[in-house]
Amino acid sequence: MRVAVTLTVNGVDHRLDLDSRVTLLDALRDGLGLTGTKKGCDQGACGACTVMADGKRVLSCLTLAAQCEGRAITTVEGLAADGVLHPVQEAFVRHDAFQCGYCTSGQIMSAVCLLAEGRAGSDAEIREFMSGNLCRCGAYPNIVKAIREVRDRMGAGDRDA
Amino acid sequence: MTIVEQLDLVGEGVDRVDGPLKVTGAAHYPNDFSFPDLAHAALVRSTVAAGRISRLDTSAAQASPGVLAVITHQNAPSLGRASDTVILSAPPPPLQGDRILHYGQYVAVVVAGTAEEATAAARRVEAEYEATEPLLDLHDPRAEVLTDPFELDSSRGDAGAALASAEVTFEATYTTVDNTNNPLGLFTTVAAWDGEALTVHDSTQWPDALRTALAQVFGVPESGVRVLVPFVGGGFGAGLRVWPHVMLAALAARTVGRPVKLVLTRPEMFTGVGHRTATEQRIKIGATRDGRLVAIDHESTTTLQMEGDNFEPCASGTAYAYACPNVSTRDRQVRLNVTWCNSMRAPGEAQGNFALESAMDELSYELGIDPLELRLRNYAESQPQLGLPWSSKALRECYEVGAERFGWSRRLPEPRSMRDGDWLIGYGLAGVSFFWFQKPCEATATLRRDGTALVRSAVTDIGTGTYTVMAQLSAELLGLDLPRVTFELGDTDLPPGVVAGGSGLTAGLGSAIHAACRNLVQAFLDTVRDDPTSPLAGCAVDEVSIGRGRLHRTGSPERGEAYTDILVAHGLTELSAHGASTPADSREVGLAPAGPFGAKFVEVRVDPDLGLLRVARVVSVIDAGRILNEKTATSQIIGGTVGGIGMAMFEETVTDPGSGRIANATFGDYLIPVNADIPDIQVSFVGRPDRFNPVGVKGVGEIGLVGMGAAIANAVHHATGRRIRSLPITIDKLF
Repeated sequence: MRVAVTLTVNGVDHRLDLDSRVTLLDALRDGLGLTGTKKGCDQGACGACTVMADGKRVLSCLTLAAQCEGRAITTVEGLAADGVLHPVQEAFVRHDAFQCGYCTSGQIMSAVCLLAEGRAGSDAEIREFMSGNLCRCGAYPNIVKAIREVRDRMGAGDRDA
Repeated sequence: MTIVEQLDLVGEGVDRVDGPLKVTGAAHYPNDFSFPDLAHAALVRSTVAAGRISRLDTSAAQASPGVLAVITHQNAPSLGRASDTVILSAPPPPLQGDRILHYGQYVAVVVAGTAEEATAAARRVEAEYEATEPLLDLHDPRAEVLTDPFELDSSRGDAGAALASAEVTFEATYTTVDNTNNPLGLFTTVAAWDGEALTVHDSTQWPDALRTALAQVFGVPESGVRVLVPFVGGGFGAGLRVWPHVMLAALAARTVGRPVKLVLTRPEMFTGVGHRTATEQRIKIGATRDGRLVAIDHESTTTLQMEGDNFEPCASGTAYAYACPNVSTRDRQVRLNVTWCNSMRAPGEAQGNFALESAMDELSYELGIDPLELRLRNYAESQPQLGLPWSSKALRECYEVGAERFGWSRRLPEPRSMRDGDWLIGYGLAGVSFFWFQKPCEATATLRRDGTALVRSAVTDIGTGTYTVMAQLSAELLGLDLPRVTFELGDTDLPPGVVAGGSGLTAGLGSAIHAACRNLVQAFLDTVRDDPTSPLAGCAVDEVSIGRGRLHRTGSPERGEAYTDILVAHGLTELSAHGASTPADSREVGLAPAGPFGAKFVEVRVDPDLGLLRVARVVSVIDAGRILNEKTATSQIIGGTVGGIGMAMFEETVTDPGSGRIANATFGDYLIPVNADIPDIQVSFVGRPDRFNPVGVKGVGEIGLVGMGAAIANAVHHATGRRIRSLPITIDKLF
């Protein structure tokens, strides 16, 4: 079955005619060529496909594209503005918070949301709330350092942000 | 040729040059590549582990929407067999008969216009099997046993006699289970034919081996096969072989006359790209009362799939771990109807070290000697098998620095003697003597008129930092600023590169780049040799120094010329040079080639009432020779440590003992460490540049993992008094 859907991705509307089975992840990657969002399990267990929908993190592999009409989707390609890295992206580079880089888009999207949600108060909190994003290379300690640094630069008011 | 700056042991912690690409989603992994007329493939896998296919009905699948082809053994063309590589045998080509040797073996590939159509149609392929009883148990008397499969079994002195007469003996059996590599990147092949020419994007750790294999399988000239892999979503050994699905993607593309993409599913990652094998290891140790080892006997048995080999020496490393006059090591493999056994980060070492370093800890209690002291008393000052000095070894420093940073002296010797409220505290350690591995490699270096350099080799960067450290090394060897140097990889059109495996890439590739850069400097000197206006005319390579994009006579900085000036003066757009490396001969140089060494110190916390086990902190001190980039090298050790914690406490691939089916083939069921499982990990590097290669490096890719199993098991024993001799240490074993 085909469905027509308008996806709003990184502020741009895209009119797509899709197989109704197509996930948001596959629509982004194959339909729109936004391959920065990654498929690590296609079962909602690894977090590599994490994107923002209306400011909340969602697993795009468990979300059908057809369900996303009218929702504002943000992917990793939408974080850097005018070629300037988002503070989280910049901190990930500086702290070497990735190795192969495959889980990185999902880690960064989760980290951005985590900071906005005010769930980065302590290292233990960062670790707990980042535990839905698997990293097989084992960059976890550096991911924590990167998020901690952005939190500290954002100032103490982040919890209410 | 000399380099201006004095070389430090630990090179500057430079950010990854590919970092901005990776954090913006702009790094392209194999499954990010597409073609306008791309078709998609999906696999059908055997649901039995042994027997033959008795009936295969593809009519429903053929009739499914969008299906372009259904290929099975009934209609597949005959495919050639790839030759074995220098490290591992080649899996046979798929769909060449009806015989089933393991669960998950491919029985069909379905090609369709979209991935959804291919997946849906693959479910409609009906397969029936004449199943036979699979051999799945390591102890099955019907299974074939291979003795000394790696030709690494060793014997010195008389271990049997020395054990019989030893003052103290200790003996135990240790077991480990199957683990699955599970890189986050789903292995993918995108294959496109143009006549006899084939272009492939693939999740490989070794592009050249893939090119050779595909040419052999399809009977086409190797020169027409191009493998591209600028980025890989991890490998951990899974990308060392050319797997059947890679051949199927290329076959599918040839069959339908369109480019084809095949992305493995996560469950397929458990059956199709190898795994670390289960082991059973028997260790016997004899010692004097004052803690001198007199004998070690180490026998390891691992599983092996029905066809082909697997390099998994678990016992052989024991032969050079300690100074001990009588040592016998034996490795055995048992052929079973299991999925392919393959390298996974630190093959053999990961399991062998768990057994040896657990046994050393147990012996320390028998003797009443501190575990650290016992290791130092039996320190191997020279390589015990060759009788030659090590090319580098700072394991003693690893122990000393690690003990200091960890606070080992605060350890109370008695088990269950350290507490923090409800938590039992345990300290454990393990020493690591990793194997040495290096293979030939080639590279080219080019300097261009704009003052930039391009250095190239057909290797991969699986996340280790190859792009970055090789650009740093090249910049240093050519006397250029880092931003002026680009290292290009992941393309078989480049000079033949070494495998990203065995912790051997940095030494092999680094040596090739060393040669290429030296040859490039020579090429500049050749250019000006007869130029009377050049201050470098007639200069030999050993008489020049480099720096800031310029060559000058050593000791006379004013008598020199910039690379770019030489190019302009001689009407050249660029100069290039080739470099090749082969490992040195240990007898010729009088040194035993050393792999990296390390000492791992672990604190665990156990809550016996709540049944909790946590790793609280890890101190890892590593001698890996010269470290090219402190930042990326530290990440390698941290990452290995995380993998080691997984092996020690979480990971187990469960095979159903009746059917041979893998029962937990998802990330929901196969547990790997998550962020909340990982504590503070302190990493330090000690030692000196290694003397076996001109760059002075040893590998850092695997040693981070090795020793974590034993160090955690030893700490658990110290905390609880319970000795766990089987990994993973799950709470059901502990309470």
